[in-house]
Amino acid sequence: MEDWRRIDIDAFDPDSGRLVPEDLAPPNLKSVNAGEIESKISQLRSAATSGDFATALQLVTNEPPYSADEVTKSRYFEAVLSALTQVRQAEIANLVKQLSPAQTDVLIKYLYKGMSVPEGQKQGGILLSWFEKVTQNTGVAPVVRYLSDRRTV
Amino acid sequence: MSQSLRPYLTAVRYSLQAALNLTNFSSQVVERHNRPEVEVPNTSAELLLQPMHVSRNEHEQVLIEPSVNSVRVSIKVKQADEIEQILVHKFTRFLEQRAESFYVLRRVPIEGFSISFLITNKHTESMNTEKLVDFIIEFMEEVDKEISEMKLFLNARARFVAEAYLGEFVY
Repeated sequence: MEDWRRIDIDAFDPDSGRLVPEDLAPPNLKSVNAGEIESKISQLRSAATSGDFATALQLVTNEPPYSADEVTKSRYFEAVLSALTQVRQAEIANLVKQLSPAQTDVLIKYLYKGMSVPEGQKQGGILLSWFEKVTQNTGVAPVVRYLSDRRTV
Repeated sequence: MSQSLRPYLTAVRYSLQAALNLTNFSSQVVERHNRPEVEVPNTSAELLLQPMHVSRNEHEQVLIEPSVNSVRVSIKVKQADEIEQILVHKFTRFLEQRAESFYVLRRVPIEGFSISFLITNKHTESMNTEKLVDFIIEFMEEVDKEISEMKLFLNARARFVAEAYLGEFVY
């Protein structure tokens, strides 16, 4: 041990009060199993292909799979992204108006996630117009809630 | 302003407004230090908030990383070809070397971005937060214009120089 003065002893102390990201996730998240997500993905795809975007948006924004692992989340996200990008520009404002505040918060999470991955960045224009319509409707509030919410989509 | 630029800047504006809610916060690790938590290797996850990506396409992005007492805003400026890459590099380097007089500018951009700003609670206390947001939005508007102007100027100059030089060889 060459540099024992630099050892971070607090890291070994369970009572030090330090938090890692896992500690911050709310404890009572509803767990989801793979089958449920698969069925939700297929529902989402069929709603999007049949042009029923109101239903698709309700599916997206109700009970997102917070507790799933990253691989499942990104699979689910692909379906969400394809549904969001199929909506025509003119319809977005109407769809956004139908959402409750809690649903808007979830939508904002998906928009930010979309803009952070390469697949979504290709569709940046449409995600930004979703974002614009949401903020026209509700102002800055969902963005603030996104910042402090530790449940990620 | 072009039609697709407006939603982009609006999204950045809202994200910044939400993120620029900073407070004075002493370091939890080092006694009597007060440092931007977004910059230091952090041992407490609760001090960092969710990062926000706003992207218009693959080439134009903004990354906003908020924390309890500081926000790091990184901008990727559009670079369509090699000339623009050089121009953006020179331009941002010029600004970064004068970072002292810009206050909020970070000396080195973070990986993958052209230019970074670091806004701490000191800045939001001594300056108007709305004006800070306006400054960053205006910077984003101006930098694109500036780069394309420089590119046009460079091309015109190159053509002139080439004509003058190659004129020597016409018999």
